[in-house]
Amino acid sequence: MKFSLSSLTLNQKLAIVVGVLGFLAVFAGSPYRGFTSKIDSQELASIVEKEIDHISPEELAGWIIAGNVDYRLVDLRKEKDFAEYHIPTAENILLPTLGDGQLERGEKIILYSVGGIHSAQAWFLLKANGYKGVYILRGGLEEWKDKVLFPRLADNASPQEVAAFEKSKLVSQFFGGTPQIGGTAVAATPTMALPKLEAPSGTQPKISGPKKKKEGC
Amino acid sequence: MNAPFFKFGLFGDDVSLIVAFVIGIGFGFFLERAGFGSARKLCAQFYFTDLAVFKVMFTAIITAMVGLFWLSWAGLVDLSLVYVSPTYLIPQTVGGLILGAGFVIGGYCPGTSCVAAATGKLDGFVYLGGIIVGIVVFGEVFPLLSGFYDSTAMGQITIPEYFGISYGIVVFLVVLVAIGGFAGGSWVEKKFAAKAKEAQS
Repeated sequence: MKFSLSSLTLNQKLAIVVGVLGFLAVFAGSPYRGFTSKIDSQELASIVEKEIDHISPEELAGWIIAGNVDYRLVDLRKEKDFAEYHIPTAENILLPTLGDGQLERGEKIILYSVGGIHSAQAWFLLKANGYKGVYILRGGLEEWKDKVLFPRLADNASPQEVAAFEKSKLVSQFFGGTPQIGGTAVAATPTMALPKLEAPSGTQPKISGPKKKKEGC
Repeated sequence: MNAPFFKFGLFGDDVSLIVAFVIGIGFGFFLERAGFGSARKLCAQFYFTDLAVFKVMFTAIITAMVGLFWLSWAGLVDLSLVYVSPTYLIPQTVGGLILGAGFVIGGYCPGTSCVAAATGKLDGFVYLGGIIVGIVVFGEVFPLLSGFYDSTAMGQITIPEYFGISYGIVVFLVVLVAIGGFAGGSWVEKKFAAKAKEAQS
């Protein structure tokens, strides 16, 4: 008997197609993504070049004061350091557990560590794994201290600098820091101690990130 | 661009509602075109005289399964980002039985009742009203049920993970079951339809 494709009904053809695809699936291996991933090095390089991967400490401070909740602030330092001091609204995620699904690929993620190196490495890891909105807090916690907690007004400052300092003084006090003029602190205590982790004056935004949505049908 | 699009941030919450609306309308349209706006057609399923529901649903399942498997194999979908509902074995089994009983009694399942109502069928509207009453009642008595509701939690498991076999083998087995089911379903249909005719005459 001569076999021809045209003698089959549409249903039989579809059954053959799905049967073949199903049979081949046995040999195709796992459909889940492994630990390797592809990166677009050109794209990453251009992001670094244009410095659009940075958030300045002042910008972040503004968001926290405004009570924004559209970002996840990730502290990459050890638990001990995190417990000692962390930027309000931050959550502690260590580098090895970054990809464990605590962060969503569509979220705006801001990374910081002591300086900039660890957050830059974490930035690369996340970017390579398809996380879209990953940013680095410029200068890490060091710059946060310099710019936000302990802003300094030089003795020979221009009027514009003085005006800007007045603003950062308020920001600093919001976060429990101590503004400095020249060598001396503006406040009564001349030390540059990190603020305690109690809620600073003013409205304290919630520490938790946006609530995870329930999904499914 | 990789899927799932929402998780990769192609669109945000607002647009996702529009996308859901479009998909929902499409789903309803194809349910209606498959004849699922009619309670008679749907109920024939349970008397084995018309297995269209079984065939359409199983077709959807294996199309989605084979499609997802091969698309993720080709790197176009990141399966690890596709949401898997957590399993609560006994509550979900009981829930399935209740839904099945409601299906036979009312003639619709929740989705098809919307289709029936959208095409102006009165029983569809009644069924929708029943759904709303049921939701309210369930919500009100939920504190009494929550112990049972959360029992036998197994987490987000899948058949391949649970039994420790490869995804490919599960895909192939489900395809075999589907093809066997379609062939067997058609045979059963003919048999029972003939019987039903005999009984009528």
